[in-house]
Amino acid sequence: MMQPLLFRALLTGTLITATAGLLQAQDAPIKFGSINEADLTDRNFVADSAASAVVLCDFGRSYFSYGGKGFSVIFERVKRIKILKKSGYEYASGRVPLYHANGRDEKLTSLKGFTYNLVNGQVVKEKLNSDAIFKEESSANVTVRKFTLPNVRVGSVVEYSYSVASDFAFNFQDWTFQEDIPVRWSEYRASIPEYFDYRMVMQGYEPLTVTEQTKSTGQFVVSYSGQSEGGGFTATRTAGGSDTYTPLMTNYRWAMKEVPALREEPYMTTTDDYLARIDFELAGTRMPGRPYEAVAGSWDKIEEELLNNEDFGTQMNRGGFLKDQLTPLLAKAGTDPVARVAAVHGLVRGSIKHNGQSSLRATSTVRRAYDQKAGSAADVNLLLIAALREAGFKANPVVLSTRSHGHLLPDMPPLLSRLNYVLAHVQLPDGQEMLVDATEELAPSGMLPHRCLNGQGRLIMPRGQESRWVELTPKERLTSYRQVTMALDENGGLRGSVHQEHAGYQALAQREKLRELGEKKYVADLSAGHEGWSIPKYAFKERDQLQKPLTLDYDFVSNAEANAPAGTLYLNPLRDFGMEKNPFLHENRRFPVDFGTPLEETTMITLTLPAGYELAETPQGLVMDLPEKGGRFLYGVQSTPAGIQLVSRLSLSRPVYSAEEYTYLREFFARLMAKQGERLVIKKKS
Amino acid sequence: MRCIPFAFILFAGSALTAWAGPAPKYAVAELPAALRENAHAVERRHDELLTVKSAARTVETVLRATTILDEAGSRWASELVYYSSLNRISYFRGAVYDAGGRQLRQLRSQDIRDISLSDGFSLATDARGRVADLSQPTYPYTVEFEYEVVSDNPLFYSTWKPQATEQFSVQEATFKVVMPAGLALRFQERRLPAGTALAQSTVAGQQVYAWRVQNLAALEEETDAPPVSELTPAVFTAPSAFEVEGHAGQLNSWADLSRWTYELNANRATLPPALVAGMQALVAGETDERARIRKVYKFLQANTRYISVQLGLGGWQTFPAADVAAKGYGDCKALTNYCQALLSAAGITAHAALIKAGADEHDIRTDFPSSQFNHVVLCVPLKAAKADTVWLECTDQTNPFGYMGSFTGNRHALLLLPEGGRLVPTPRYGAAENRRQRHADVYLDANGNAKATLRTLRTGLEYDAVAGLAGLELSEQKKRVSNRLALGNFTLDKVAFQPLPTTATIPGLVETLALTLPGLAPPSGKRVFITPNLLSRLSAPTPAVGERQTDVWLDYAFTQLDTVQLHLPASLQPEQLPAPVQLTTPFGTYSSQLQALPDGSIRYVRRLEMPRTRFARADYPAYLEFRRKVSAADKAQLVLLKTDA
Repeated sequence: MMQPLLFRALLTGTLITATAGLLQAQDAPIKFGSINEADLTDRNFVADSAASAVVLCDFGRSYFSYGGKGFSVIFERVKRIKILKKSGYEYASGRVPLYHANGRDEKLTSLKGFTYNLVNGQVVKEKLNSDAIFKEESSANVTVRKFTLPNVRVGSVVEYSYSVASDFAFNFQDWTFQEDIPVRWSEYRASIPEYFDYRMVMQGYEPLTVTEQTKSTGQFVVSYSGQSEGGGFTATRTAGGSDTYTPLMTNYRWAMKEVPALREEPYMTTTDDYLARIDFELAGTRMPGRPYEAVAGSWDKIEEELLNNEDFGTQMNRGGFLKDQLTPLLAKAGTDPVARVAAVHGLVRGSIKHNGQSSLRATSTVRRAYDQKAGSAADVNLLLIAALREAGFKANPVVLSTRSHGHLLPDMPPLLSRLNYVLAHVQLPDGQEMLVDATEELAPSGMLPHRCLNGQGRLIMPRGQESRWVELTPKERLTSYRQVTMALDENGGLRGSVHQEHAGYQALAQREKLRELGEKKYVADLSAGHEGWSIPKYAFKERDQLQKPLTLDYDFVSNAEANAPAGTLYLNPLRDFGMEKNPFLHENRRFPVDFGTPLEETTMITLTLPAGYELAETPQGLVMDLPEKGGRFLYGVQSTPAGIQLVSRLSLSRPVYSAEEYTYLREFFARLMAKQGERLVIKKKS
Repeated sequence: MRCIPFAFILFAGSALTAWAGPAPKYAVAELPAALRENAHAVERRHDELLTVKSAARTVETVLRATTILDEAGSRWASELVYYSSLNRISYFRGAVYDAGGRQLRQLRSQDIRDISLSDGFSLATDARGRVADLSQPTYPYTVEFEYEVVSDNPLFYSTWKPQATEQFSVQEATFKVVMPAGLALRFQERRLPAGTALAQSTVAGQQVYAWRVQNLAALEEETDAPPVSELTPAVFTAPSAFEVEGHAGQLNSWADLSRWTYELNANRATLPPALVAGMQALVAGETDERARIRKVYKFLQANTRYISVQLGLGGWQTFPAADVAAKGYGDCKALTNYCQALLSAAGITAHAALIKAGADEHDIRTDFPSSQFNHVVLCVPLKAAKADTVWLECTDQTNPFGYMGSFTGNRHALLLLPEGGRLVPTPRYGAAENRRQRHADVYLDANGNAKATLRTLRTGLEYDAVAGLAGLELSEQKKRVSNRLALGNFTLDKVAFQPLPTTATIPGLVETLALTLPGLAPPSGKRVFITPNLLSRLSAPTPAVGERQTDVWLDYAFTQLDTVQLHLPASLQPEQLPAPVQLTTPFGTYSSQLQALPDGSIRYVRRLEMPRTRFARADYPAYLEFRRKVSAADKAQLVLLKTDA
């Protein structure tokens, strides 16, 4: 299987060291307040004429300073943008989210900005005013500062600069090189004293133009008054004074040049997974005179912390209150372990409604969530684990990152914030194992919600060394099966009956649709998709048997448009049952196609002709394969005594296709549609 | 565009009842079967009480209890209460009951989330909300919410619409308004069921108005029909006098509202002298009135942009014109005020006009003067012999001169004048203006693959849908055009846009596309099939299940003109041409025909014109028949025979 071509590398230790001592020599790529006048004319932007705006330069720098509260991280940024179209005006506004918690915060300082316009050949420079800066409490811990620059027109250059002083060493500013407009130069520098150990993760599909790493000696003066306690250095003092520390500094410099805009395309997880970006995670501290203290460190540590936590590990053993409900259900389920798991799953799924929120930790206790009959994903699935344990299963949590929360890969630095979801792993007595999630009211036991189909999750075992990665691959496909029996009359009218089954993820989708619309509207919607149809009779089966395919049997009538028998009839039976539009209309793609699940779609038609008519021309059969067993389309037409048999079967065997395979996929669908568009020519026998 | 400043119209409320005791409430067994029919949820009880404390303050109290019958009804299981700097929530409570009416739990304060209602385009807004969700895993169940909002923004009184959506029934709903002595309530009743009457009384010197409805069965929306909220009972209320942050006003007529708004925004039109001189110079020597206005409007569009700031009274009051001159941005009020000042400097008189903007907004209730607006535009009366008006949208940097599209057109606006203005209609575009005219050349090869070039002109409201495309990046243009094309399989080789000249009376955009169409007309043996109507297939509405209940509203008039020139390879010739179709009905006219030309090509010409009209439900079958015939004609196939086979 081909791997998606995501470029993701852990930079720590793997970085090629550039010449030392360069940092001081390196000038900043941009000087705030003075622009190149040529940027106010059109001639520098011929190549970008299609873009609404261009980032000329985005330059960030992070370094440490030492003050009253200990170390803080200072982030400085200068950004300059050329506005090329009116649709690019939005880039003349900026936003800075600031985090605060427990009396510590991130502070925005020295926010400045200018707009430059060329008026009658003269550069006119206007500054950002304080009345154009606003504040929004966006959530309990985040305040967003927003600002907009004055007198922006097509052709303006805007720039702004600001600093953020952060009390949170763990919140070292990440850097994104890529945006939804082109970026000419994006550069980030980080100066990190040896006291702090960060892991750096680079991701994206764009190459770095510059990666440098140099060493130098830093200097921090720690002043203290009598009896105070130093923050980061924590030595208790009795007399006032100051100490000077000169740690070894590592100075990093990364830059990208001419970064293309990133656009959203169908079948992506979240755009954040595809952006060229570098993330920082504090792994530990190494303060003078103290041993190394791991902060994030290992999965072992994260797992231990979770297991010992009141809102995670503890809850999984609190299922005792379910005993009375479980006993009769388990007795009814018999001895088959899978059936018993399903019984527990059914109980949890039916007693607590998922409120739509993904989460890793319980809101309060599983008992309380059960009494409230509603909760987050963690509330639901920790209750599920507790119930499974109560039922005697070896059930343990799998922690993961959902599709919208971004990739989680085993080689990434272990970090709690990468996780946002938990579900249940069950070790069955026969050595088999299964993953169970109870957040989807209409998904059977053993089916993962689509949001969880995101690579791998971490199985946390009570004994740390048994913890491991598990694949979050879907066990089921997006499966549709239709069997159609229909009769053509000599005027061209059709009537017939359809037996249709939706299984796997398609069953989930269709049950959800059915629940939302109700049977009547579901069927009305079905007939709306088939022009000229009426559906006099229909019956749904297995609506509530989630382990079984959702079945719909219906009759349809499509009246002839002509009033008289025709000598030749042209029929395109797959028009009503095939694909409407090639999902891949764009010629190329830079990213993998991530469907989440494999797909299987089968339609079998038996067509009876009016007496005295015959198939004049039989379309050619077709079998078409995607490279590396990626998928197959099969089409065949056959005349039999029972009538004309037509088969169309599409299967896509993988959830993810690489960007290289895109061309094949697109062509595959194009040919499939052409085949499904072929008509049967039916003639009166002479 | 996008200006929703006169923010949230709050709901109303009811007498606060004592908190739930142990006795069961809202047992589902007590629910009449007729109310469960076709319903996802049933309003068991909905009491709204509006207490007008004074001209400057109102208190709205709501109690609602809703039984959720199935998952599709679960959106009624949560409640969002708005607040802002002018609206304060005094309390917000809730509880949930099982089918038997036993209380399952009460809402705790930690279950209520406080959220910013930042609309995504405002730079700053004070709109916030408190949200609570009482969804349950099993149905049916009943939620009960109670809340009270104190408002210092009494320009808006409650609108009572107890049954605003489909598949939602109402067991009982009441609406009560308590007015202080000396302040009259203005109200308007609509579609109250027979026997429902206003109960009016005086309690301790206060006038009390009360309405009540019971047992409203669920309705279902039909195609081409009025929305359910236009079919069900409603009571609209409005103040006769009000005061917002010290600005008092009367509201007994449109003139009153006009005068108050005018005064609130008066004396904010001073421009820097250099700019005044600049405007005079800009129009100097230009004698044509329209051309003078156009020059000023062009200046506005080139030098300003829209930024939304919605804070307190700022929702009603404009920033001074001098601010916009200095910063180059503003919200709808500020930009309109600025444009008015620019025009004034150029010697042109213009009036601001309040309007209810939005693509799907129905017109305001013109017979009920009240604050129904959310946007402001500029109305420039021309002095020319033939009375005419130019309307200007000041918040959009690309809006064509004088164009009021689907956002502001075809509705009433209130002129703001010192002596009190009146309602005036904004331009309406009919079938002749809302035109889509397309010419396609399709070059088919012997294998059924094709190349095509398409030139499409869209004018009037047809232009609205594509207006934004021309300014986008090429890859974004390709993406949007591809998604819109009603074709299964194609590659877009070229996309280009060219607007009509600015002097055109209605705006238009020409779109030129080049396409590769693999497998457009796949051969089946000796024959090749192609639908000459390449892109303009109009499908028929789904036949209604059961009898049509509501009248038919066709709100959008348009014309479609299509010419498709099919260029065939020598090896193909038509076996038979579909017969021409000509339909003339009150619901629309249609024609399509095919013609073999001497050069061997085939020309397809189609014309569809749909009027803006309303007719009785009895005519629905005839309308459906018309649409079916159009659909059938649109799908007609041309059969080509291979001459070399």
